[in-house]
Parts: sequence; C-alpha cells; structure tokens
Amino acid sequence: MSISTQLVKKLVQIPIFGGLTIAEAAEFFEVAVETSVAKGATLFREGDAGDALLVILEGEVTVTRKGIELAKLGKHTVLGEMSLVGEGEVRSATAMALTDVKALTVPSKRVQKMLKADHVGALKVVANLAQVMSKRLAAINERLVAASGGGKKKEELADFGRILTTWQF
Amino acid sequence: MTSADAAHYYFKKAARIMDVGERIETLLVTPLREVKVQVSIELDNGEIRTFPGYRCQHDNSRGPMKGGLRYHPGVSAEEVEGLASLMTWKTAVVNLPFGGAKGGITVDPSNLSLKELERLTRKFVDQIHDIIGPTRDIPGPDMSTNPQVMAWIMDQYSKYHGHSPAVVTGKPVELYGSRGRETATARGLLSVCRQILQDVGLPMKGMRFAVQGFGNVGSHVSRLFHEAGGVLVAVSDLHGGVQNPRGIDVPALFDHVRRTGSVKDFGGGTDCTNEEVLIADCDVLVPAAVGGVIDQHIAREVRARIVLEGANAPCTPDADEIFEERGVLVVPDILANAGGVTVSYFEWVQNLQHVTWDEERVNTELDRVMAEAYEKVGQISRSRKLPLRTSAYVLAIGRVGKATVLRGI
Repeated sequence: MSISTQLVKKLVQIPIFGGLTIAEAAEFFEVAVETSVAKGATLFREGDAGDALLVILEGEVTVTRKGIELAKLGKHTVLGEMSLVGEGEVRSATAMALTDVKALTVPSKRVQKMLKADHVGALKVVANLAQVMSKRLAAINERLVAASGGGKKKEELADFGRILTTWQF
Repeated sequence: MTSADAAHYYFKKAARIMDVGERIETLLVTPLREVKVQVSIELDNGEIRTFPGYRCQHDNSRGPMKGGLRYHPGVSAEEVEGLASLMTWKTAVVNLPFGGAKGGITVDPSNLSLKELERLTRKFVDQIHDIIGPTRDIPGPDMSTNPQVMAWIMDQYSKYHGHSPAVVTGKPVELYGSRGRETATARGLLSVCRQILQDVGLPMKGMRFAVQGFGNVGSHVSRLFHEAGGVLVAVSDLHGGVQNPRGIDVPALFDHVRRTGSVKDFGGGTDCTNEEVLIADCDVLVPAAVGGVIDQHIAREVRARIVLEGANAPCTPDADEIFEERGVLVVPDILANAGGVTVSYFEWVQNLQHVTWDEERVNTELDRVMAEAYEKVGQISRSRKLPLRTSAYVLAIGRVGKATVLRGI
C-alpha cells in the first residue's frame, strides 16, 4: 500500500520515526496496511505472536497487562514497537480499542529484512527505538528502587552507633 | 518552664550538637511505658476519694528503671513523663546501671491522715505491683513521700511477690534502708564542689558559699561545706534568710532552726530575702530549694563564680546562657544532685546482696562515683568546648545510646 505524502509528513513527526527523510519514510511504510478496529475490539492480546508495529491514525487504545492499564494511546502514537527488535517474541500486553480505531500496521518481518539490507530508514527507526526503550528502562529502574524502599537501605541505628564512636565516653 | 521542660530542652540541644537525627531523638525521648491508675480509698470519716496515680517508665536500656514517687496536687501525666526522662539522663551521667522512671499520685497529702496515706500507698502498690520490681522498676522517695511510705511500698509489694526489700529505696535504715541516704545529695554536691574548686584553683578552706533552701539538701550542704572549711555567707528558707559576709555560725544556726523551725530571725547576721541569697557576694552558690529561681535577670546579678544546682532546674535556660556569656561555671542538676540516686543504687545493691555497708563505705563509694562522673563530663567539656550542662547531656545520650545500639531495637 502506498500512503499519501501528507500522511508521511505527519508520521515523521512521531519520535520513533524522527530523522527519517520523506523518501526513507515512504519506503519504510511501503508495505504498511491500514486496518480498522471497532470500539471494544482487541488489536492484539498478551501472548499473541508479536509480528507487527502499529501506528494509531485515529481513535484511542488502552494497553493492559494482567488487567492493569499500562498506557492509553491516541492519534499518532506507536504500539507493538518491541516486535521490531524481538524476533519471535510474543506480545507482552493486550491492546484494546476504546473508540473506533484506524491504525497502520508494519509487519516486523519486513522491517527485519530492511535492516539486513542496511536500509537507512529502518536503521534510524531502530536507533530511535533504542532511545525510547532506554528511557523506559530508566523509568522502570526508578520505580523498582522506589518499590524496594526508596534507595539505599537506611541503617539509622548503626549510623547512630558510628556517631557515638566519634565522642569519647 | 518546669524541670521536665528544661530537661527536654537541654536533651534536644545536646542531641542537635551530636547530630543524632530526628528519628533517634524520638527513639530516645519517647517513654517505654506510661501507666495511669485509679487509686480509690475510704477516708477515716467513711467518705470515698479517688485519686489518679501514674508511673512512667522511660528507658531500660541500661538497666532496671529508677525514679521517685511524689504525692502532690500538681502531679500529671506530662510532669511524670518529663521527670522520668530526666532520671534516665541522671542515672546515665553517674553511670549507674539503671534506666529512668517517675511516678506519683495527684493528691495533697497534708489533707490526709497517716492511716489514709498508708491506705493510699498500699492501694497504689496494688495497682502497679506487676510493673515494678527489683529487676524492673525501683521507686524511691520524692516530694511528700518519706521512708515510712517506702516501708509501706516494700511491705505491700512483698505480699504479692515474697520478701522483696530491693523493690524500693529510701527505706528507713531499720528496714533495709542504707546508711548515708539522708545526706547523700549534699555529700555528692560536696564531692563535685571540691573537684571544681580544684579545677579553678580555689582552696576549699575559706571558700565562701551561699545556700538557698534549708531542707534535706540545703541544710546538709550548709553543714558539710562548713565542716570542710567553707564559709557560709548567706542562707535562706521559705520564710526568710540571713547573711553575714564574715561567715554565719553554722552550729548556732542549726540550734536556731531546731528551736524555731526556720532560719528566719537568726541573729548571727542581717536578715535577707530568698532572692538576696542568690546574689550574695560569694564563690559558690547552691540553689537547693525549687526550680526556676534563677532567671536571666537574676543571672546577671549573681556574684558567685560557681553555681552548683542542688535543686532540679533552679536555673532557666535563659539564665544558663547568661552564665555562659559571663563565664560563671554551672554544675548541672543531672550531675550535681545525683548523689541521692547514687546512694539509692547502693541501697538496692545492699538489699540484693543481703549485706549492710557502714556509712564510711557508702561515702567513699559515693565520692568515687561522683568523681568519675565529674571527670568524664569535664573531659567532654574541655575537648569539645561545651558548657558542663551540655557535656553532661552529651555523656548521658552517649551512654544510653550505646546501650540501645548494642542491644538492638
């Protein structure tokens, strides 16, 4: 499917496609398929084969894992991007349409192929993806630290003992 | 500011200097247990009266808790709590293996007959006997409680737990009390007085001193300091005072007090007020009456070089600062008047070991304990350039803190 230049111009404004020229983006999206999903229907489920990247063109999607909402995504956001680098992996979350949704689907296999062929657009996308993922990882680390008691474990009684040794009693 | 408030203020000041942190401060200052009981008795005329009774056990990291029991209309949970912590610091400064406690009954004992007082005391023991004991919490005398009250406590407690003289101190000498208990606080004051005079290079002989208060502490201080070579230049009690720059005839003063019940109108000098005693021209001032008598205004006029706090908190924190500015040395209450609790400790030791010490041994041991405490406080004061009071609190926090850390919480 060929997509309009107008849409391509919009897509390169999405962070993960940032830095791609119009030509590179047009080639990247050459095999993309536009899909429509009705309100309440599922785009993919946790555990499904992760075989495509999705770009929401219209509507709103909720992403949940084990019933807990991880994110709400709207127009011109990307989901399923982890499938681009995790070949053979399964979906780690479930995506459901909160409204009627139009989305662009890019098969991961196609992206893998472009990467093997040193396709500059695909390499730029993966580099962007690495940035997004590292930010997410940092955020998760923060939360992990907070959950395990707010940083370095305190040793207040031992600290007090150390203060006392500096005084000669 | 009450003596309990003052103790809390000085504790905080020392804790901040040591930088122990807010949570350790809270850990150290919060009492272990506070008990309020209802003490109901039948009066001699058949009426029923109910009085609230309290026992606050502040800290036991260094040993069983120790502290007086007072009968006074002003007794409250807050007062007892503050005084219990004061006992923790005091026992720590003189390094007795005790923690701190305090208790009391909100009652005016002058309105009760001896029989009513006995019923009140026994009923109170009925209510608290399971939280006190020779290895838990050992009460002692305080405001309006005397050796007789302590004897009733021992007797009543023993009915529940078997013969237990070590459950209470300050008992009559004829009933497991210690020799030297009555003069203990004054003797402790004499001990630190000798040491501080040596530090500043003043001889004891000819040292001029003034005493406010002529109760258990003040009267014995007057006599013991005089016997040690000091010259009493001013003295007062509740009713009035006398001053004589050339020295008051102490044996004659005692005769006068025995005859009249007061130092007022003693002929051997000029009459003076309680306040005039505080600003008398002397080397050593011993406020041994009540708390809060030396405020910032009086502190500016005090002419003594050394102030020995015989009473609890006779100087307000404001006065304390003035003294620091003026270079007047203040030996703080938690060190200076700790002789009383020290001999209470000796009484407990004698009771546990089923032995009796003679007075000479009591006095020798007391001198040793006071000397060690004074030396340690002095060391901290010199090395950290802190006043004696702050140094004493630092020492107390350090000792209680070390025990707490070693035991774990």
